[in-house]
Amino acid sequence: MLAGTVALTKAELANLFQYRIVMFLYALWEVVNPIVYLVVWSLVAGDGEVGGYRRGDFMMYYLVFMLVSHLTVAIEVYTFAPLIQQGKLSPRLLRPMHPSWSAAATNIAYKTVSLIMLVPVWIALFLILRPPFQGDLIGILLFVPAISMAVLISFLAGSAFAMLAFWTTKSFSFWEIWMSLLFLFGGQVAPVAVLPDLARALAIGMPFRYALGFPVEVVLGRLEPAELLTGFALQGAWTIVAAVVFALVWRAGIRRYSAVGA
Amino acid sequence: MTVDIRVRDLVKHYVVAERTGGLVASLKSVFRRRHRRVRAVDGISFDVEPGEIVGFLGPNGAGKTTVLKVLSGLLYPTAGEAVVLGHVPWQRKREFLTQMTLIMGQRQQLFWDLPAIDTFLVNKAVFGLDQEAYEASVASLEDMLELGELLYRPVRQLSLGERMKAELAAGLLHSPRVLFLDEPTLGLDVTMQQRIREFIRDYNEATGATIILTSHYMADVKALAKRVIVIDHGLVLYDGTLDGLAERYAPHKTITLHLEHPVDGEKLRRFGDVTVVDELRIEVRTTKDAAPAATARLLADLPVSDLSVEDPPLEEVIAQVFERDS
Repeated sequence: MLAGTVALTKAELANLFQYRIVMFLYALWEVVNPIVYLVVWSLVAGDGEVGGYRRGDFMMYYLVFMLVSHLTVAIEVYTFAPLIQQGKLSPRLLRPMHPSWSAAATNIAYKTVSLIMLVPVWIALFLILRPPFQGDLIGILLFVPAISMAVLISFLAGSAFAMLAFWTTKSFSFWEIWMSLLFLFGGQVAPVAVLPDLARALAIGMPFRYALGFPVEVVLGRLEPAELLTGFALQGAWTIVAAVVFALVWRAGIRRYSAVGA
Repeated sequence: MTVDIRVRDLVKHYVVAERTGGLVASLKSVFRRRHRRVRAVDGISFDVEPGEIVGFLGPNGAGKTTVLKVLSGLLYPTAGEAVVLGHVPWQRKREFLTQMTLIMGQRQQLFWDLPAIDTFLVNKAVFGLDQEAYEASVASLEDMLELGELLYRPVRQLSLGERMKAELAAGLLHSPRVLFLDEPTLGLDVTMQQRIREFIRDYNEATGATIILTSHYMADVKALAKRVIVIDHGLVLYDGTLDGLAERYAPHKTITLHLEHPVDGEKLRRFGDVTVVDELRIEVRTTKDAAPAATARLLADLPVSDLSVEDPPLEEVIAQVFERDS
C-alpha cells in the first residue's frame, strides 16, 4: 500500500510539474487570501487588543494560518469527484488498493509542488512583518499531532463530499456549504478566541476548527492546558467520526457506481 | 471440472433520469424527476474454462461491457452470482485484483502527460512486483508488442495504435490469469488490428490465460475465439462454437461461379436463389444439404470456369441472430 502510494505520488508530482504556472496561481491565491484578514485584523486591533490578540499576534496567527490552511486544504471535490462522474474511476478500481490512496497521492503531490512556490513568499512576508512568536517547544511538538489530525479530517471530509458524486452531479454545491462553515468557524474569518461567545462555543464543538485553526492555536501557545486537552479530545473524536463517515459513504457509493458506457 | 469464470443468473439494471427536451420539461424536472430502468443484463449464465478465449458478440447496448465490468469488480450486480478465480469480483479482494485485468479500448489507465514507462513503475509498486518479475514482464511485453522507444515518449504524443499497445502492456504487466478485453482493436487500422490480434493469441498460448473479448470487428472474433456468446437485450442468445453459430442461424451455403461466357437470365433462374454479380460472376444460395447436388448440377449445365462453396460471412449470420431475436 505504502510503496504503491509513494510511486503514485512520484508520478503525480511529475505530472503536476507540467502545470507549474497553474500551480503557482493556486498557491498565490492561498497567500493572498489570509493576507486580507491579516491586514483587516491588524487595523482593527490598532494599538490595542481584540480577544487577547494584539496587532503582532494577528500577523503571526495569519502567517501560520497561511501554511496550515495550505497543508490542510481538501482538493478531492476537484480531483476525485470528476473521476466518479466521468467514469474515470474504473482504472483506479482495478488497482489492488483503495482509490483514495491515489487521491491522497494527488493531494500530497499538489501540496508539495505548491509549497515549493509558497515557502519563499512566506519567508519574505515573515522577514518584512517580523511578528512576535510567543510559542514554546511543547507547542511545536504538539503541533505535529494537531496538524496531522487536521489534515486527516480535511482529507476524509473532502473525500466524503467528493463521493456524493455517486449520487449527484453537484457534489460541489454541498462542498461549498462545508467551506462556508469552515470559513466562519474554522478560524479563518477570525481566530476562534476572537469570535463572539455563541459563535465561539459553536466553533469549539463543531469539526471545522479541528480541520483548520486548531493547529495554529496550538503552535502559537495560545491555549491553556485544559483547553489543549479538550481540543485534542475533540479533534480525536472528529477524526474518528470523519473516518466512519468516509467509510460509510464509500461503501454505499461504490454500489451505485455505474457510469454507463464509461 | 474447474472453471475460471462462473456466472449464474446475473442481472444488472441501471436507473437513469430522463426528460423530454425544452424549457418546460426542464422546469418540471426540478420538481419531479422521471426515472427509467435500463435492463443492461437480464439474467445471464455461463462458465469459462481455464485457457479458453471466448468472444462476446452483440449490438451496441446489448450488455457486453456491463458483464465485463461486473466480472472485473467495477460494478455491483442487481442480482445473481459470479465467481472469477474463486473470488466474488465486486468484493474487490487484493488476491482477485492482482490476478485479472480489464482493458478497455476507449479508456486509459496511462498517465496522459508522462511516458508509459512511468505508469509501468506505478503498476510495479501497486501490484507488488519484484524487480526480477518486473523486468522479465517488461522484456517479454516489449518483445511481443514491439514497444521499443514508444515507452519513453509522453502518452499524449502516441498514435492511437501505439497507445493501445502501451495500454495493453500496462494492463498485463502483473501477468494476470484472466483478461477481459473490451474492444481492444477499436479505431485501429487493419495492420494494427492484425498485430494486436496476434499478440492476444500469442499471450494466450504462452501463458494459458483465460480471455473474454468483445469486439465489433468480426475478424477479431474469428481469429481468436473458438467459442462465442451472443448477447442482446441483456440475454444470452447463443453460446457455442463459431461453426455451430453459422449452422444454427444460417444453415445455407453460397456457391460462387465464374462463367466462361454470359448465360441467359431465364436459364439461371431455374437454379433457385441466384444473385447476378456481373455478367460472368453469379452467386447461388442453397441449403447446406442441397449444396453438393446443386454444385454438380451447376457444373453440368453451365459453362463454369471456376467455382467455390462458402459459409455465409459471420456478419450476415450475426445479423440473422438479432433479426430473429427482435
